Amino acid sequence: MPQPILRARNLQKSYTMGRATVRVLRGVSVSVEPGEFLVVMGASGSGKSTLLHLLGALDVPDAGSVEFRGADLFSQSPARRGEYRNRDIGFVFQFYHLLPELSVLENVAMPRMVGLPAWKWGSLAKAARADAAEMLERVGLSERLSHRPNELSGGERQRVAIARALINRPALLLADEPTGNLDEATGGGILRLLGAFSQSGQTIVMVTHDAKVAAQAHRRVLLSEGVVREAALTVSGPRSVEPIATKVGL
Amino acid sequence: MYKWFLVRRYLHTKLIAFFGIAAVMLCVAMVLVVMSVMGGFLDTVRARSRGLHSEIVVDNGTMQGFPYYAEFTEHLKKELPDVVRLTTPVIWTYGIFRVPRTNFTKPARILGIKLEEYVQVNDFERGLHYDKYFPGTTHLGGQKMPVAGFDASGRLLLPEELESAHRKWRESETDPDKVAEFDRDPFAKTFYPDITPMIPAERVFAVASAEPGYEGPELPGIIVGCDVINYRRPDGNFDRYYARGAQVALTLMPLSPAGNPTGEPPIAMALRYADDSRTGIFEIDSLAVYVGIDLLQERLAMNVQPLAEGGFTKPRINQLLIALHDGVDLNGARDRIADEWTTFRATIEPEMTEVEASLLQHLEVYTWEDLQRSFIQAVEKEKVLVTFLFGMISMVAIVLIGCIFYMIVEKKTRDIGILKALGASGQGIAGLFIAYAGAVGVVGSILGIGLGCLFVWNINGIQDWLASLNPQLRVWSPEVYSFDRIPEVVKRADAIWVASVAVLSSMVGSIIPALIAARVWPVRALRYE
Repeated sequence: MPQPILRARNLQKSYTMGRATVRVLRGVSVSVEPGEFLVVMGASGSGKSTLLHLLGALDVPDAGSVEFRGADLFSQSPARRGEYRNRDIGFVFQFYHLLPELSVLENVAMPRMVGLPAWKWGSLAKAARADAAEMLERVGLSERLSHRPNELSGGERQRVAIARALINRPALLLADEPTGNLDEATGGGILRLLGAFSQSGQTIVMVTHDAKVAAQAHRRVLLSEGVVREAALTVSGPRSVEPIATKVGL
Repeated sequence: MYKWFLVRRYLHTKLIAFFGIAAVMLCVAMVLVVMSVMGGFLDTVRARSRGLHSEIVVDNGTMQGFPYYAEFTEHLKKELPDVVRLTTPVIWTYGIFRVPRTNFTKPARILGIKLEEYVQVNDFERGLHYDKYFPGTTHLGGQKMPVAGFDASGRLLLPEELESAHRKWRESETDPDKVAEFDRDPFAKTFYPDITPMIPAERVFAVASAEPGYEGPELPGIIVGCDVINYRRPDGNFDRYYARGAQVALTLMPLSPAGNPTGEPPIAMALRYADDSRTGIFEIDSLAVYVGIDLLQERLAMNVQPLAEGGFTKPRINQLLIALHDGVDLNGARDRIADEWTTFRATIEPEMTEVEASLLQHLEVYTWEDLQRSFIQAVEKEKVLVTFLFGMISMVAIVLIGCIFYMIVEKKTRDIGILKALGASGQGIAGLFIAYAGAVGVVGSILGIGLGCLFVWNINGIQDWLASLNPQLRVWSPEVYSFDRIPEVVKRADAIWVASVAVLSSMVGSIIPALIAARVWPVRALRYE
């Protein structure tokens, strides 16, 4: 049995809202195997986005741990967590979160820029731009390289966000309701794209409240009131342990 | 890498950054203008002070002057030939300058000089007006009034001596613009007593209807401070109302060696206006007139005088100006000349009268810097103070940058979250905003230096333009600031210093917003659209 690429143990998280403290996660444990397409489902306020943020080290749990390839993220330095976000995972958000001043190509190349010091950029810039262009071609946006985000449709923006998330060939793609802001047809296109990457072996953890979307996944986890209520296999499990970079030739 | 990339992009696209750039630009321009004008003021004080005197001045601080200057000059030539290049005596007193048959009278500080030596120990020659266009024609000896006439073809001509001198100037003048400027209107700048008594002009000569020549009795020449005899126009140039060679008069009062009035009636001297002098220092140009030293020495009874008890007095002067050879250390030379004076004084001790001894008792040797120290130091302190005050005002820019960057951080919270989600560290985010502020500082400084330079280089034109709109807007008064023109030089070192401080200040101003940005927690920045 393959070792989980990511394992969360007993995650707890609460937020203070005014005088009230809301316990969003009350002890969630979940693991993700290489090549797996895991969907986290739940109603609004169930804590699924909070779980994803903790898995992506965008937030810190009140208790519990997240291990990436056996190493606890939150016992490591903030700099190492930054490297984790930059190199080991890619994030896709519901609202795309592209940088508005940058072109499509520059947005996609940004993770590469973040990961490189200025003195190394000179020699690697060309390769980074080529990689970004190739990734945009994979998501069907090769004609839109110099466009600004505000010149794109919602679906196109989400494709750019996916390309950006995968530019550094991460082991894990975290997607927070990637279709939540799109109409059904466009959302379907995004799901097909994610499905294609999953088919190629990309490990994906996706948060959604849409059961039809969840049907695409290998496994789903249902969160309710901050705890895991159900974990079910939807298909026979991950079919590949290889990262997408290998599979799609990136 | 992303920091520099985003800084460049934000600079282009963020309107709010332009407010920061504008604030830095204005502060840099303001401080640079202040530093340049005050620095130029200080440099002009130094240069003019240097050009007023010689390197070394020997003075006893009295109006009666001191004797034995000729003997001491010989002594210096013999003992310090490698130090002393030239010496020249000066006499000064106070009197009244008049233009006969007019009600024109002014107080005057009268200097007796040997013109041919005096111009070799300082910059006096550079400020002579007629000597510029008719070189070599200005002298303090006996002279008549030159009068322009007409040749056979009706062309206006000056006497041959002046025409020849002028030809020499034209041949030696390397700047064709100056010759062209002279040629544009040479005759309008002429004094036509028969047509109109006064024509404001720069080069003024009387005109006769016959051939050019000289008129009137031969009288000693006088060089008059340009603000004594001319009218200064608001643009800083002069209107000359009196023809070259016009008869003027000086009235003065001789003093005895003991410093008392001799009891004789005030002495009136008739002279010819040979030239006017512009040192650029208003206090001098509005007061000083220059005559031959022999004439003044005689009229002030400072020449050789018979003594009642028999024998003669030694001639006296007020100052001995000493020019040094190139490369000689100024203070070292002063000390050596002072030592030589002590040695020399011992040799003349036996023959000195009591009055002479008292006049020589406080003889001091000064450098030009010693003489002007109090003035120069005052200006130096004024420069530091004004720069400090304007620098303090510019500190407002730091606060402004802080406010602007706080607003930018507030607006860019989502971008900060995105960058952190992509792996940027808090340190990197802080660096991004500090670099952004640095870039705002660099761009603002470059523009500020440009604006400051443009302003300083055209500051007199701007003032003249403002004064043409409303004379009350003339802020630089030569009476107050000594110089007739506002300094127009920007020093590279000043510009670099101001720009460096501005860039640093911008970065300092952004530190708090940058730290706030660094602490933004990505999940909070990204949770909602």
